[in-house]
Amino acid sequence: MPEERSPLFSSIKNIFSIPDLRNRVLFMLGLLAVYRIGAYIPTPGINHSALEQLFQAQSGTIFGFLDIFSGGNLRRFSIFALGIMPYITASIILQLATLVVPHLEKLSKEGELGRRKITQYTRYLTVVLTMFQGFMTAVALEKSGGTGPQIVEAPGWYFRFMVMITLTTGTAFIMWVGEQITERGIGNGISLIIFAGIVAGLPRAIHDIIVNVQQRTWSLFTVIILLVVMILVVAAVVFVERGQRKIPVQYAKRVVGRKVYGGQATHLPLRVNSGGVIPVIFAASIVSIPSTLGVVFPGTFMKSLASQLAQGMPLYNLLYVTGIIFFAFFYVSIIFNPMEVADNIRKYGGYIPGIRPGKRTAEFIDRILSRLTAAGAIYLVLVCLLPEFLMTGFKVQPIPVIGPTLDDFLASIGMSWVTTGLGVTFYFGGTSLLIVVGVAMDTVQQIESQLIMRHYDGFLKKGRIRGRRG
Amino acid sequence: MTAFNEVSARIVKFLLGLRPGSVRESGRSYDFLLQQINRRRAQLHEIDGTQLQAIIHELRCQAWNDSLLVEVFALAADQTERILGLRLFDVQLLGALVMSEGKVAEMQTGEGKTLAAVPAICALTLASGGVHVLTANDYLAQRDATWMGDIYRSLHFSVGYVTQQMTAEERRKAYACDVVYATPNEVGFDFLRDQLCLDPSELVHQPFHSVLFDEIDSILIDEARIPLVIAGGDMTPPEMAHRCATIARRLRLNTDYGIDEYARNVHLLDAGAAKVETALRCGNLYDLRNVQPLTAILDALHAEALLRRDVDYIVKNNAIELVDEFKGRIAENRRWAAGLQTAVEAKENLPLKKQGQILGAITLENLTALYPRICGMTGTAATQAEEFFKIYGLEVVAIPTNRPMIRVDEKDLLFRTKADKEQALVEEITCVHATGRPILVGTASVAESERLSARLRQAGIPHHVLNARNDEAEAQIIAQAGALGAVTISTNMAGRGTDIPLGGTPPRQRQTILDLGGLYVIGTNRHESRRIDHQLRGRSGRQGDPGSSRFFISLEDDLMERFGIREALRDRTPEVEAIEHVQRIIEGQNLEIRQTLRKYEQIIEAQRRIIHAKRRDVLTAADRSVLASHAPELFQRLCLDLGGIRLAELERRLTLMKIDEAWSNYLADVAELRCGIHWVSLGGKNPLDEYLHQTAMSFERLLNGLDEQIIDAFSHLQLDPHGEWAGLPGLDRGATWTYVINDQPFGDLGERMAKAIVQLVSQTITGQ
Repeated sequence: MPEERSPLFSSIKNIFSIPDLRNRVLFMLGLLAVYRIGAYIPTPGINHSALEQLFQAQSGTIFGFLDIFSGGNLRRFSIFALGIMPYITASIILQLATLVVPHLEKLSKEGELGRRKITQYTRYLTVVLTMFQGFMTAVALEKSGGTGPQIVEAPGWYFRFMVMITLTTGTAFIMWVGEQITERGIGNGISLIIFAGIVAGLPRAIHDIIVNVQQRTWSLFTVIILLVVMILVVAAVVFVERGQRKIPVQYAKRVVGRKVYGGQATHLPLRVNSGGVIPVIFAASIVSIPSTLGVVFPGTFMKSLASQLAQGMPLYNLLYVTGIIFFAFFYVSIIFNPMEVADNIRKYGGYIPGIRPGKRTAEFIDRILSRLTAAGAIYLVLVCLLPEFLMTGFKVQPIPVIGPTLDDFLASIGMSWVTTGLGVTFYFGGTSLLIVVGVAMDTVQQIESQLIMRHYDGFLKKGRIRGRRG
Repeated sequence: MTAFNEVSARIVKFLLGLRPGSVRESGRSYDFLLQQINRRRAQLHEIDGTQLQAIIHELRCQAWNDSLLVEVFALAADQTERILGLRLFDVQLLGALVMSEGKVAEMQTGEGKTLAAVPAICALTLASGGVHVLTANDYLAQRDATWMGDIYRSLHFSVGYVTQQMTAEERRKAYACDVVYATPNEVGFDFLRDQLCLDPSELVHQPFHSVLFDEIDSILIDEARIPLVIAGGDMTPPEMAHRCATIARRLRLNTDYGIDEYARNVHLLDAGAAKVETALRCGNLYDLRNVQPLTAILDALHAEALLRRDVDYIVKNNAIELVDEFKGRIAENRRWAAGLQTAVEAKENLPLKKQGQILGAITLENLTALYPRICGMTGTAATQAEEFFKIYGLEVVAIPTNRPMIRVDEKDLLFRTKADKEQALVEEITCVHATGRPILVGTASVAESERLSARLRQAGIPHHVLNARNDEAEAQIIAQAGALGAVTISTNMAGRGTDIPLGGTPPRQRQTILDLGGLYVIGTNRHESRRIDHQLRGRSGRQGDPGSSRFFISLEDDLMERFGIREALRDRTPEVEAIEHVQRIIEGQNLEIRQTLRKYEQIIEAQRRIIHAKRRDVLTAADRSVLASHAPELFQRLCLDLGGIRLAELERRLTLMKIDEAWSNYLADVAELRCGIHWVSLGGKNPLDEYLHQTAMSFERLLNGLDEQIIDAFSHLQLDPHGEWAGLPGLDRGATWTYVINDQPFGDLGERMAKAIVQLVSQTITGQ
């Protein structure tokens, strides 16, 4: 539900009138620029045009997906080719590990210091993962290319080692850049780097649209419709991402005999989409495994499996949807333990009005959370699949038994666009959209609280000066 | 010469109100300045009275500048010698120089801090226009002001002091002086009262210039976050308190209610809730309409299960008196948050005191920030140097002692159980007492001091007990604590600021005692903060006397229990070194907690300043009218009815009251918001960000709503037959107190963070 925002604090102009904040924002932009420059420094030893061909052939595989996170780096195979993805993988692994490894679980509950230690582990794991991935990538590049021009100019151990070192250094550097942004700039650095990678494609997309219009491939009307749809989708995503159910929590009053003003001060904010983009990432990685294997191990069975699981195929969609829903629930169950929350409320003298603390409260929270998560999962499915339908259509033909009939039927009533798609490239895929909106919202909130603090800092300092003249 | 210029330039910079940088300097750079002062002092010493008058007159006529520092110091030192017959040592002058530079002077106990402050105070007064010297209690304020008064007056400075019993008129007179001795509490309460007055003539404070803290660590670290509170509105305590106390007494631990691991919070379990519902016949206790009974019962439980008589509080003169953890004495005017105070009164079957709604509050830390210049002195600052610098921008400079300190601090003795420890204590005391050497035993609580006293009585050892219960006898007991064969059992009362003369007063057999090894200080507990331990040790070995100290600790001590050390050490051989390490961790964590909480408090303090600036404008400017500009028709009608002047007066008073009311409600809202703000992290938001956002929004609403409320109040204006306004509420604004912050029920933020410490400590102990 949209909350009120103060006009006082949200003007961009304010950012630049406060030196400290301005410096932070500039620092962030500066580092992102460094990141973008690095994204055009190629890894040596690679035939880049051959690589480009390979990517065009495999847009539906894990590579295409990974490319989102690397911000096109993988496609260009720059020194940042692996991007920040290994770091994300490492964080996910550690997050899951805190559930099973007692030592990590203890750490995660130890507040700031424990978190710092876990971050340190995440960094180590990132380096290990990157080295492994870098090496595997080098091997894969040597093997691929098939009949076309060779991607690797001089295969061999020297090449593999060089790629591994280059990519590991690149990712470690991005990680460092991200942390610097978090610390000295503004917003979450890691997210912003992914954000920058995605948004960097925007000018090009706009350029493409203009070219399309100029060449009369698209009518102006189509473009307008497209823009309106995009704006609506973004608005809808923002709306849902901010959506939360506020469960009131009443605390025993410290101030005796006071009327309650302005309604409930405290509540548990349960988000519709608690997991953010993470369930989608999980689902997409898993669903794309078979088609990726199809690339690495060519064979008849793998090939037919891979073709059934190509993007837009019914089986792919089915697995993708199931995956998203499953991981949405899975993730919520990881980050949110109703019993723990209920205990915590009780310990500090709080309760949900009308409901007994303890088990009953936990059940109540659990029920609401399940419903919210169900809604959230459906939303995720819509956001992720609709753009795909628009692009590639819903291919009904391969559905067993009724498939071909349905396909013919749709064609006969002039609705063949359902199966073939609109042929429109939707610039933002669902995943990208979720990331971009999420990161933007986070960053805005951070800037806003900085603005508030600075605004009041002014008063704190003013008092001092006034006192001095006293 | 460059060193001299550098230091004096820095001092002058500070005196002129510019904060110096954070450069550490060697003691040598002060030496030159010291030489200059001593040379000038020697010159002045030769001069007779009338000539001196001329010099003083000349000094007072000049505008403050660089070269005057040496002159002021020399004159102050000279006058001290002439008037009190006491010559300031070089180390005292050094301390004064450090302070006049805007730093904290760490001077060992017994080095004459009170005297050392005088030159610094004179310089500050001259440079800034006035100094508040803040001391630990009213008695010290009065004593120091009287003792040093003549020195200031001889230099043509006026001097005053403030104590609790003074009327507003006396206070106003005192604050008008150049040098004002007072306690921080009195200054703070007066500040809060000023912020609530309805007429400019009621103001007592002058603008703040400089402040010099005596025992600065006690005020700015131990007590920094204790809010001074002014309350009013006269609310009768809930009649339910007595009933709840009875019910709470019947509930049993672990079946009816639970206590969290570290004994900070209580909560009702299902069985207990059912019992309470039956007893109160109130239906579902967790229904929204039952907030009051639920609060009362939780308060009663907290009072029953967690607050211990003779440890956390004592009952004296039919009233609850809180014991200050750090000082071991009664904390005047301190109480628990509203409901809890009532609950404790009900628990002890005392008459219930009235409660009021908080009208204004300020922490000592924020009060300090109102002074453009801060400096201070203490015996124990070094361990907290980081905090002084981070929070207040104050650097700590250690001043060498006049004569070398030769006290021996012996290694702690560690015991498994309290019983073992007490046995060893009695044996040790018996043993040492036999030689005739005076012993001071520092205990942690009133109860402990009395328990030990009983054991000593059994053992047939004559001794005195000094605790919050018999603080009237303090001066007498302390005067004889250093006598041959004296044994004194005390709480932390005999820590900070207490001077124990060897041989008693008047001194007898001093040489014998010196030969025996001076005062022997025994601590029976380690405190959370090493400074408190150091203060206790500091009672011995003053001014180069011999002495020794030793701590006896056991794994069952409060400190060990509270931080889970006992648990962690269950299967290990405890090591003494580990304990000191633990203290360091606790101090570090406490600093982190204070810093986080500070972020939450800052915005409210900024808003308080905004509100008070607005209030001051209304208070002093008579011609501003919301009515005239926003509701001209109403204004004109009322103008005809009441006349312009009365209307203006009425509007002013009403506006002030509306501001106070709105602020008071706002404070209550914020307190509630803080209870549950941490939950927003479940929604993926940062609690601090969200807190800032929410408070900023509702403060804006508060400001915007004010004018409307004023107009609204006037449109419903009722005049009584005499033409007086009937609806003007008379608030009782007299009540002032300070709040306990460590013991708030319903866990505040700090409470939650404190848990992390426990984990960290047990981790360190077990070496993982």
